[in-house]
Formats: sequence, C-alpha cells, structure tokens
Amino acid sequence: MKQIVGVADMKISNNLGDSILTYSLGSCIGLVIYDPVAKIGGLLHYILPESKIDKTKARNNPFMFADTGIPKLFETAYQFDAKKNRMEISVFGGAQILGQQGFFNIGQQNYMALKKIFLENQLIINKENIGGEISRTIRLEIKTGDIFIKTSGTKEVKV
Amino acid sequence: MTTIQKLVKEIKDLKPIPAIVNQIVAAIDDPNCSAEDIANIIKFDPSVTTNLLKTCNSAYFGLANPVDSVKDAVSILGIDQIIELVLLKSGAKALSKKQKGYGLHEGIMWKHAVSSALIAKKICKKVNLGNENRIFTAALLKDIGKTVLDQFVSGSFEKIINLVHKDGYSFREAEKKIIGIDHGELGAMIATEWNFSTKMINIIRHHHLNDESQRKNNDIAIVYLADCICMMMGIGIGEDGLAYRFHTDVISHLNITHEDIALIIADFSQDMQKVEKLINVA
Repeated sequence: MKQIVGVADMKISNNLGDSILTYSLGSCIGLVIYDPVAKIGGLLHYILPESKIDKTKARNNPFMFADTGIPKLFETAYQFDAKKNRMEISVFGGAQILGQQGFFNIGQQNYMALKKIFLENQLIINKENIGGEISRTIRLEIKTGDIFIKTSGTKEVKV
Repeated sequence: MTTIQKLVKEIKDLKPIPAIVNQIVAAIDDPNCSAEDIANIIKFDPSVTTNLLKTCNSAYFGLANPVDSVKDAVSILGIDQIIELVLLKSGAKALSKKQKGYGLHEGIMWKHAVSSALIAKKICKKVNLGNENRIFTAALLKDIGKTVLDQFVSGSFEKIINLVHKDGYSFREAEKKIIGIDHGELGAMIATEWNFSTKMINIIRHHHLNDESQRKNNDIAIVYLADCICMMMGIGIGEDGLAYRFHTDVISHLNITHEDIALIIADFSQDMQKVEKLINVA
C-alpha cells in the first residue's frame, strides 16, 4: 500500500507491501531511514530548521521542524525495533530558488540543521541528493529498502 | 502562422473567465465601491448566488443556521470571505486542467493558485500594505498564461530544460528565448483580452519581477513573494522546479525578514488540510 507523507509529516512502516512516498520537496527535506535487517523504514518531510520560532506549533506538530522532527522519526523507528547501528540514512531536498542566499536560503538552512543534529548524535548520511533549483518526489520500498527519486525535468530513477 | 500569431488565436479561442470576476475586480479597484455594491453584483447573478449559498451552507463553514441570501452570507462570513469564494469558484475551471508541458497533473496548478492567493493575503496582513482582495485575485490568476503557453512549452521542452539545466537560465527566461514570449507576458495578453484592470494586468505581467523598474511596486512584490513561498514549500511545482530568480532586494523593500517568511510557512503548512477542503467545496 502507498503511504503518503504530507508537508510537515512522517510515516513509518514495517509492512513489506508498503511503499512510503512524499511529493514535490522544494526547500523542505525528505529524510529516509531504513533498517535492512528488521525491514523497517521511515520518511520525514520537514519544512523548517528550528522550532524556536514557534514552540506551540512544534508541540502540535513536531514534524514541521528539523530539531523536533528528526528525533521523533528515530524514536518511533526504535520503538519498531529498528537499530541505530544498522540504519541506512538518505537525505533529499533542500532546494533553492535561483540566487536565494544566506538566511533566505531556507533549503540550505534546513540541510545545515540536519547536519548539526547528525554530528551531535554521530549519525552518518549514506546517500543524499540535495540543493539545486529542482523539486524532488521520493519513494521508499519497505521490502527492499530501494529508494526512487523523480526530479523536475527528468525521469524517475533508483537512487 | 508565426508562434505569436498562433498564441493570439489561442487567446481569442480561450473560454473567458466568468464576467462576474471582471465586475468584482473592477469594484475592488474602485475606492468608492462598498461591500454592499459588491454584494449587489453577486446577487444579480443567479447561478453564482446559488453556488455561493451552497458553499456557505456546506459542512466546511459549519454555520448554525443556513444562509439563504447573499446579504446574510456577507453579514455572517464577511465581504472578504464572500469575494474569495466567488473568485475561487470562477477561477477553478480555467486553472484546474492538466498542464502537460509544465508537468502539472490535473488540479495541481489550481492548488498552487489557491495557495499563492491565501499566502499573498497573509503577507498583506503582515506588511500592512496593498489591497488584499486585488492581491488575492492577482495571485490566484497570475499563471493564467501557462494554460495557453503549455502546449508550446510541451513542444519545445527539451530545448527549454537544457537552457535551464546547462546554461543557468531561469525557466521564464528559457520560455522567452525559445518560444519568444513568457507566461507572464502571455497572461497579461489574456488579462487584456478579458478587460481586466490595468493594475491587475500589470501584476500578472510582472509577477516574476524580471523587470527591475517594477520591483518597488508593493502589489507585485507581495504576489511575487507568495509565489516564492509556494515554490519553497513545494506546492504545485511542475517540471520547471524552483528555476526562477530570487530577488532579495524585493523582500527587503517589503520589510519582511527571513523569520517572517518562516512563520508564514509554518502557519500555512497548518492550513494546508483546510485548503484541500476549501478546494473541494469551492
């Protein structure tokens, strides 16, 4: 079954028939984690780097921000018996409009926030497709752990 | 026939947007026009009135007592909400179709239009500038040019996307270079054919702000920023991706900070389910 992850949303599955997908990442980040032994996969689609701009929104929906969504994604996967040392981690999105720089470059800010959290938690990115002026649609197959990406202006390919 | 002649013919053949949109847009632009005048325009169009009342009485608004006249609808939901609904209903037909060249599935362009319009209204409130209803309408209709340009983009897609991916063109610049006209210019031609106000035509023409002389026009800057926010959020993006130009000076001129933009994004992501529902009822 197709599990669709919306904007500021997250899905986790250990159902072998499932694929988890998210449409059209712009500056947002799609973070995919997969434990190939337990066959558990998750996808988080967050839109902003830091929850400090609106704590109430972060409480209502932690998946809106990197610093609240990323811990929640991993915690939920661990509850499903996924193990940190087996986790395959892939990161997509973080695009920008042509010439979008500095603080206005929310795509880059989103990616930097993830890097910071990963550094603090000793997590390593296995695969990534980041930046540029393209949008990305991402699909994870739970059975195989295969990830497919469709970017604007090109056809879908396996990552 | 040259491409431009073909395009002009396409524009003439286009099914026009309902006349009531024009009347409302003209009324919004007229400072002497009151909420009552606008309610009267709606009242005299029976099919629009029927549709409007049906929407107002749908579960979306959850009114305790059903409304049975435009006057009641205006007094309960407010004139701005009523204008929004009438415009949403009238724009849907023109903007819902699949756009093959731009890679937009059915309904995606409409979702982008409605989202841009609602975000533009949020920006208006934030900066306290501009006529909210005019900006809402302009943001809603800004990409009307794409509906005609689509088949030409489709025919030259490889050439256009090559310029974007290999030569650093924006998608709009590539349209202009390959087809000879971009979707803003074409949108302005359509808006002229439909007798839109000069202000409205101007916003549609310049909504990517490639013309430097327009960058201090607040109305256009707000519509432009709403479009950028939609792109960042991935709402209604097609094969053109985010390949448009970002003008930091425009944002600074509006006195908007990156934090304001982040807050608008956070806010709108919460509204998105509501938007889906609104699209379905309107």
